[in-house]
Amino acid sequence: MAKQSIVPFGPQHPVLPEPVHLDLVLEDEVVVQAVPSIGFVHRGLEKLVETKDYKEYVYIAERVCGICSFGHGMGYCQCLEKLMNVEIPPRAAYLRTIWMEMSRVHSHLLWLGLLADALGFESLFMQSWKLREKILDLFDATTGGRVIFSVNCVGGVLKDMDEGMLHSIAVTLSDMEQELRPIAEAFLRDYTVGTRLHELGVLSAGQAKSMGAVGPMLRASGVALDTRKLGYAAYGDLDFEPVTAKDGDSFARCEVRIQEIFQSFSLIRQAIAKIPAGPIAVPVKGNPSGEHFMRIEQPRGEAVYYVKANGTKFIDRFRLRTPTTSNIPPMLELLKGCQLADVALLILTIDPCISCTER
Amino acid sequence: MEHKHEPKTYPWRAFPFAGSVLKNLFSKPATTGYPFEPAHYPERMRGHVEIEIDACISCGLCARSCPPGALKVDRAAGTWTINRFDCVQCGNCVNVCPKKCLAIVPGYTAPAAQKSSETFTRPKAPDTPAAGKAGGKPENDAAKCVFCTLCAKKCPQGAITVDRAAKTWRLDADACVGCGVCAASCPKKCLTLK
Amino acid sequence: MQSMNTIEPIAIADFIPAVLRFKQQGWHVVQICAARLPDGCELSYSFGKEYDLRTLRLTVGDEEEIPSITEAFPGAFLQENEAAELFGVHIVGITQDYHGKLYRIADETPFKKKG
Repeated sequence: MAKQSIVPFGPQHPVLPEPVHLDLVLEDEVVVQAVPSIGFVHRGLEKLVETKDYKEYVYIAERVCGICSFGHGMGYCQCLEKLMNVEIPPRAAYLRTIWMEMSRVHSHLLWLGLLADALGFESLFMQSWKLREKILDLFDATTGGRVIFSVNCVGGVLKDMDEGMLHSIAVTLSDMEQELRPIAEAFLRDYTVGTRLHELGVLSAGQAKSMGAVGPMLRASGVALDTRKLGYAAYGDLDFEPVTAKDGDSFARCEVRIQEIFQSFSLIRQAIAKIPAGPIAVPVKGNPSGEHFMRIEQPRGEAVYYVKANGTKFIDRFRLRTPTTSNIPPMLELLKGCQLADVALLILTIDPCISCTER
Repeated sequence: MEHKHEPKTYPWRAFPFAGSVLKNLFSKPATTGYPFEPAHYPERMRGHVEIEIDACISCGLCARSCPPGALKVDRAAGTWTINRFDCVQCGNCVNVCPKKCLAIVPGYTAPAAQKSSETFTRPKAPDTPAAGKAGGKPENDAAKCVFCTLCAKKCPQGAITVDRAAKTWRLDADACVGCGVCAASCPKKCLTLK
Repeated sequence: MQSMNTIEPIAIADFIPAVLRFKQQGWHVVQICAARLPDGCELSYSFGKEYDLRTLRLTVGDEEEIPSITEAFPGAFLQENEAAELFGVHIVGITQDYHGKLYRIADETPFKKKG
């Protein structure tokens, strides 16, 4: 056996936007084991639910993370609506779907930019984020916030979109679709990007399942599991199939995310075409009781929201199992046997969101 | 790690990004010329909270519903205080305000070296304790009441319970903030704030 | 889409056999969650298969020991450590046990007490 050495990696590292620390056990340049430690930014937001009114907590749930914020608010609200037997108006469900899919576009474009940056392809990074800016402007115009929208409430949504707004979303999205094509082409057809990503960090379908991978990570290994298929919000009315790739390598994960952006464009277009008129929220009286597990598909993968309520306005327990929590164990699996130089890139391909994970 | 051994064909293209690079080279900058050009904010932008202090009744609902605790309401002095550096612009205060005297409008809080708060004081108005004027808890005149439940529906705190069948009207005094919305909405004017 | 989403109480003696049965039938761990009770803890282990979700519910006393499921589902170590650290649940035999060093927090088991 070669001599082993341990290299600390993170919590500050050029490719890591957020703090995670790994102790890499190396034999020469090859990683034999990676031991993670997290908890640098643990805020205990799950605990805060015990002292905040359940309706007020929506705003805190949204602030768990800056990228997945809409989904967190929506997941929490859906969970409470289930407990309180509230049926939200169809228009609210469609509006949530539109905003959720816009969040997905924004999150995946952010990730593409970070990937290009990690590869050293700065102009591609700039191009991806330039495109993402358009989505942020749409959020600003429709909800009033660029990253934290605060439009969810228990019982529906707080803001409506008029015809003009929906139309401007549709127009901007078709522009974006045109602009995304050359970017997608660069990620999927460029020799430099391709040779860096192909056959790097292969995760088989079996490994992905047993280690608990979720979202694009799981689908890139060929498992067609997308919790949007459960039909919450308006997804039941829309036509889509989970995007999958079969190779399970870094390139497959990139490909799945790019295809999901195009899929989101199609879902938003369908939703805009089908959106019914009507109220956007129903009044909710009383306090929740009971417990429920709600699964929704965040851009980074499946997230689970658990609420245990006791009939008062304070909730007993709120649990948020974020996609990254589930994706860290398979990431460690990927790191075994890889070169030290590939570690940064492999961590990035799971699209880690540590601030979500630490709540 | 497993490696695939069957030969794969890769769909490489030569310089797929060169077109975009050239286009960028000869097009206008994507960024705006801030600070030489002013920044444009959309109409719905949540920038900062403003109060129309004359309409405020110091019910304190905003302060109680503020997730970061950036608001303070002093009922006796008639003041409304906001720490703009603690405010997270969620807009919850605006949504819960029974008098709709709060608004969230575009424009960010200017940066400062120290956190500070801003206080608004309601000008003293001559007291006119009439129905619809806030200040106390509602009392129901059961003789006039038709148990229409409108007050219960309008109450921002859900403090009023009306049973049509049993002809009862109940107030949860702890939850009531004395905003007077019930009295203002009452069609029979049977509610008075005392 | 109609899918299962159930919570099934289970005794601690039947727990590991049930987990192994899930493993054999191809289920995967979706989440592990602890919740505080007046005199102990409630542990929920959710397993998913396609779009179905089944949650096993364990109710344990303060000092009771719970066997780890990481032998069957190695990916569960992170969430088991989290439950152990935040709620002070005694989970024994985690393949990668951090012994309270996962989170860098000032208080020990901060979620165990109320308020």
